[in-house]
Amino acid sequence: MKLLAIDSSATAASAALLEDGVLRGEFFINTKLTHSQTLMPMVDALLKNTCIPIKDIDLFAVAAGPGSFTGVRIGVAAVKGMAMAQGKPCVSVSTLEAMAYTACCFDGLVCAVMDARCNQVYNALFQVEKGRMIRLTPDRALSIAELAKELSGYQQPIFLVGDGADLCYNHYTGPIPGIRLVPAHVRFQHASGVGAAAYILAKEGKTLSPAQLMPVYLRLPQAERELKKKKEGKQ
Amino acid sequence: MRRICSHSPAETEAIGERLAGALQGNEVLALYGGMGMGKTAFVRGLARGLGVRGEVSSPTFALVHEYQGRVPLYHFDMYRVGSWDDLYSTGFFDYLDCGAVLVIEWSENIEAALPDGVIRITLEKGDGEQERTLTIEGMEADETFGN
Repeated sequence: MKLLAIDSSATAASAALLEDGVLRGEFFINTKLTHSQTLMPMVDALLKNTCIPIKDIDLFAVAAGPGSFTGVRIGVAAVKGMAMAQGKPCVSVSTLEAMAYTACCFDGLVCAVMDARCNQVYNALFQVEKGRMIRLTPDRALSIAELAKELSGYQQPIFLVGDGADLCYNHYTGPIPGIRLVPAHVRFQHASGVGAAAYILAKEGKTLSPAQLMPVYLRLPQAERELKKKKEGKQ
Repeated sequence: MRRICSHSPAETEAIGERLAGALQGNEVLALYGGMGMGKTAFVRGLARGLGVRGEVSSPTFALVHEYQGRVPLYHFDMYRVGSWDDLYSTGFFDYLDCGAVLVIEWSENIEAALPDGVIRITLEKGDGEQERTLTIEGMEADETFGN
């Protein structure tokens, strides 16, 4: 089974091609160039360099959120378009799950965190056990303080991944002794992680038609907070 | 803080153009002021000062207009933005820290989301019909007008 996976959920963009779970090729770019400039040339180069024509791709996968509003949309739109043109199914992968797959190697808890501003994070928790990854929570948005309360209940190493990892690490070392920061080269989401997660989801029958594929945005608790400037002079 | 008086839209443009000389990228300029105070005129001048060619208009419907000058310029209009969800869906947060200059009209609507180090420019009616007072906060006095 040949799978094309894409991630453009943050400032980096990547594309990966997997065949029966084996990574055949991957491109990754993390510069100031926009995804609309880098993504399709990467996909094109990937297919050319692996000598796999697009018509041979069985499944298209994407990190569908959480993440940057425009980045997620670009990835989802690209996958929707390609899958629709080829008449093939899609897999919607959580960005948090994709980064957990990139990092998970040791038994323990993987805590995927993406910075959502104002001391809030997008988060999910995964248990890694003998090479298997088990999701413990749905993707959610919460404050780093609330997350700390939950994590203090776990008596095992806790591996932080994602762009919110160092923010959390600075708050949690001390109060949470098991906390670990995963090294930078495996800390962030990559298309290969999207592909690894998608491969398993596909085997479980969790595919979608291109028409069904949508961006997934998590609503922040701070959305209740006042955004506008107060009319009467106030700090 | 610095106060400047403008006697016409052309003067407001010229003020924007001179201020552009001090910008290097990553600055966020928050404009405050009601309709007709000259916010778009100011941005027109700012864009010219950054070497942007072509027409500059208010992005009330598009929410953001992108221009290419010596650095990218992103021109926002938050008039229609009413909530954090609205703001998120403009992609505003994706534009911060990317080396571009951001200039925002109707910043009153997104006060709580403005980053640290924001430059605030308030445009108010002056004494005469065409007169406006521009108050600039957040720039060093000697930086305000470049060289």
